[in-house]
Amino acid sequence: MKIKKQNIIPYLFILPAFVIHACIVTVPAFSTLIMSLFDWNGMGNAKFIGMDNFKEIFRDPLVKLSVIHNIEWLLVFITIPLILGFVVAILVSRLRRSQMFFRTVYFIPYVISAAVAGRIWMAYMNPYYGVNQVFGQMGWEKLAKTLWLGNPKIALFAVAFVDNWHWWGFIMVLFLGALQQVDSTLYEAARVDGANRFQELLHVSIPGIRQTIAFVLIMTIMWSFLTFDYVYIMTNGGPANATEIMATYIYKNAFVKYRAGYANALCVIQSGICIILYFLQKYISKKGGMEDE
Amino acid sequence: MSNGVRNKTKYRISSVVTMVFLILMVLFAAVPLLQVLLNSFKTDRECKTSPLGLPTEWAFNNYGETWQIGGYATAYFNSLLTAFVVIAVVLVVVGLGAYALTKLQFKLRGFFTAYFFVAISLPSFLYIVPDYFVMNKLGLVDTRWSLMIVYTAIQIPFNMLLLRTFLAGIPRELEEAAKIDGCNELNSLLRITLPIAKPMFLTVAILVFVNVWNEFLWSNTFITREELKLVATRYVRFTGEYGMNMARIYTASVITIAPVVILYLFFSRRFIEGMTSGSVKG
Repeated sequence: MKIKKQNIIPYLFILPAFVIHACIVTVPAFSTLIMSLFDWNGMGNAKFIGMDNFKEIFRDPLVKLSVIHNIEWLLVFITIPLILGFVVAILVSRLRRSQMFFRTVYFIPYVISAAVAGRIWMAYMNPYYGVNQVFGQMGWEKLAKTLWLGNPKIALFAVAFVDNWHWWGFIMVLFLGALQQVDSTLYEAARVDGANRFQELLHVSIPGIRQTIAFVLIMTIMWSFLTFDYVYIMTNGGPANATEIMATYIYKNAFVKYRAGYANALCVIQSGICIILYFLQKYISKKGGMEDE
Repeated sequence: MSNGVRNKTKYRISSVVTMVFLILMVLFAAVPLLQVLLNSFKTDRECKTSPLGLPTEWAFNNYGETWQIGGYATAYFNSLLTAFVVIAVVLVVVGLGAYALTKLQFKLRGFFTAYFFVAISLPSFLYIVPDYFVMNKLGLVDTRWSLMIVYTAIQIPFNMLLLRTFLAGIPRELEEAAKIDGCNELNSLLRITLPIAKPMFLTVAILVFVNVWNEFLWSNTFITREELKLVATRYVRFTGEYGMNMARIYTASVITIAPVVILYLFFSRRFIEGMTSGSVKG
């Protein structure tokens, strides 16, 4: 009797969390997979149509456009915030007393709601009442007339700029944390060997944080295909689909056009890309000797 | 100039350049937010004609008006209520779960650990559509329950693994000793582990609070009734309605982010450690 009781207790402890999560996340996630094969408006009867949703996806010009925007987004995010975060992390890691101050300030934009950050920058980018007003007063006519969010050529990058403002500090803190865990005797050894700052960086710092670099790279690729908040809040895919990305297009299909089946098929593709990348990241970091358990 | 002096000057110049650069980045991060705070004390006219810089005359009426018109009392209440329910449930189920994963031996331990690792990676868009339509059928859309349930579920995997890392650092001997003294598992969790792990539970609570406060996608989808909206969605609606009144937009922004920013300034280390954990290790 006693042994039996012992066996049951761990399950009683773990099951509440597991059941809640499985009901809201895992089971619906599987149903998304299945419903992607149906023509369904969310309410009425679903009609099985096999792979038709997926065939439509490959013909849909807006899907193509969205994916291109996601890739453009990725190109921005895999360069600017990573380089900026890395450089700043290196510089901050050399400081002593002021390190905490810089870390705390750089991280602030990351803790703020995307909804608010997006709207604040929309106010600044307002063509009449925002920074353009200031540019005009300075006599910079060309800048003053720029429609940051209204010009299809630059809208996506204007939104990406704002997301970067919120994002780079997080990357910087990740790199800084990793740099602090690099064995300090390695630096001493490098110095004894007569290495300069740059050689130190190349041969000690970068190899020392390569797992974090790999993590950040792969996560950036994943997040670039999932990104939603900033684009939805600032432009909602406009003007003229110039900022349409996969997530906003899925959202419109599911909750505006009520094409739930089609949206599910898009979700499957989007999540497929991300889950593959997630496991790739796990695999690479395991290969690099990083402890998971 | 001798070599040593030249090196010293070179070093000085590079450290001055570094400092200037780092301070410019501080301005880049902080000025847009400080300007929002300053603009919330300007008149609407001044916000429009000079959106940058100090107010020429300080207007203090924005806050009262925005709070009233924006229905922020209700929105704050909704967000706080939702956050507290979610925090309470998450702490209980994640506390129990993480205790089992770190301190107890059972057959499926590996399976459950792996489950939560995979669960972290599932993107919201993979389950938001079925969740919405199922909850719609059950009549839960446009009720507080929908968000409480969804947020609890979403918060579980990350916080489970976070707490698991924390609890793994507490020596098992302490709980063993308690059990020899006749405590059962629940008692040893409550009497031994919990008091030691209190700061860790606080970190989890803070992270859950911030996530609930900031969340937009789900609350925008599940709640359409104004009186049930949480702060972030209420804010987006309000700034859409009063899009032409810049002073109100800036003021509403301050009202919306103030609790999180204040919390952050008090607990910045917990924020940073909690939000970046799981990315450096595991």
